[in-house]
Amino acid sequence: MKFIFDLDGTITAQETLPIIAKKFHLEKEILNLTNETIKGNIPFVESFIRRVHVLGKLPVSEISDLLSGVRLHKKVLKFINDNKDNCVIATGNLDCWIEKLSSKIDCVCYNSVAKVEHNKVVSIEYILNKDEVVNKYKEMGEEVVFIGDGNNDMEAMRISDISIAAGLIHYPAKSILTVADYLIFNEEALCRQLNQLL
Amino acid sequence: MSSVKSVVISCAGIGSRLGLGQTKALITLNGRSLIRWQLELLKDFEDIRIVVGYQANDVIKEVLKIRKDVIFVYNHDYFNTKTGASFYLGAKDANEFVIEWDGDLLVHPDDISKIIDINDEFIGYSDIVSDEAVFVKTNDKGDVLSFSREHGDYEWTGPACIRKSKLQFTRGNVFEQLEPYLPMKGLMVRAYDIDTYDDYKRILNTIKTW
Repeated sequence: MKFIFDLDGTITAQETLPIIAKKFHLEKEILNLTNETIKGNIPFVESFIRRVHVLGKLPVSEISDLLSGVRLHKKVLKFINDNKDNCVIATGNLDCWIEKLSSKIDCVCYNSVAKVEHNKVVSIEYILNKDEVVNKYKEMGEEVVFIGDGNNDMEAMRISDISIAAGLIHYPAKSILTVADYLIFNEEALCRQLNQLL
Repeated sequence: MSSVKSVVISCAGIGSRLGLGQTKALITLNGRSLIRWQLELLKDFEDIRIVVGYQANDVIKEVLKIRKDVIFVYNHDYFNTKTGASFYLGAKDANEFVIEWDGDLLVHPDDISKIIDINDEFIGYSDIVSDEAVFVKTNDKGDVLSFSREHGDYEWTGPACIRKSKLQFTRGNVFEQLEPYLPMKGLMVRAYDIDTYDDYKRILNTIKTW
């Protein structure tokens, strides 16, 4: 059994990109992009590239420090730490930004990769496809449970053996509700379901 | 709070026989939705799993007004399946013992403690009151021997409790899932199905006394 967790809003109790945007006074630009992405007017990959273009000019070390202080869902974190061999994270977020944050979570983390020079993101080298992570573990014979909340989780949830739409900090994207097996709004209920699946 | 047993409330259907134009969970009884009545009756259970399909978003919205720790289970194929499919989907990843609770079922509040206290499998039945009942035949100990569409001693209403490992996927009815395990312990409860409009009118009178 392999539990694959989305990071933002599922393990973290706050979305990370708005935190970065707020810190560096780029809220308006990021909010517009996020809203257009949620509406489906901008595809996720394009949106991600554009958001990184805006935020990539900022000092990487400061972003990593900032995100290391993001609040986490404590019960979800405990489940992961108690079952670290069964849990992985799949996030589109950049390695350089979440390095310190992910080091607080005791499991393997799959993420997008950026090239960094002089403490700035100069290019995106790899954008994570979450469905590739699901397929990897399915090919290893694992039963895969995917827990996520966003549009970019949809394909991974569709191909997982069990998919859980989590609405812990906002209502999950409507698109994933067409493929989800479960929909859960409460951290205790989510952990109850995860333990029932073990 | 009972944490040993899960309760699966099946609310995925379109409620076509009742003819009120909405899934039964959302029909109102004395100003409260049916799902609110049920959740208040079942407030002492920790693991409540609500199977949704038709009008899922509306049911979810109503439930979240009442409690947030429910696990919603999707039956995406609700149009082509009956309550047996919803029960299976709701039960397959639940606790070891699972209580089946149809989305159109109300049980007298004074009988809920019987359901909480019983630590075994059982089949719930009541006196015959519904228009389109499935019947049960019982022995002198009250055990359920068989189900029948034609005749029997009591009406099969649910709830029922069974080990989840015994359940197989079916597109059919819950009682068909239970049939292979008969005879099973019976539990007489004051339970009411709301299948037809006459059932609906009858339950409106019944709950006035609760």
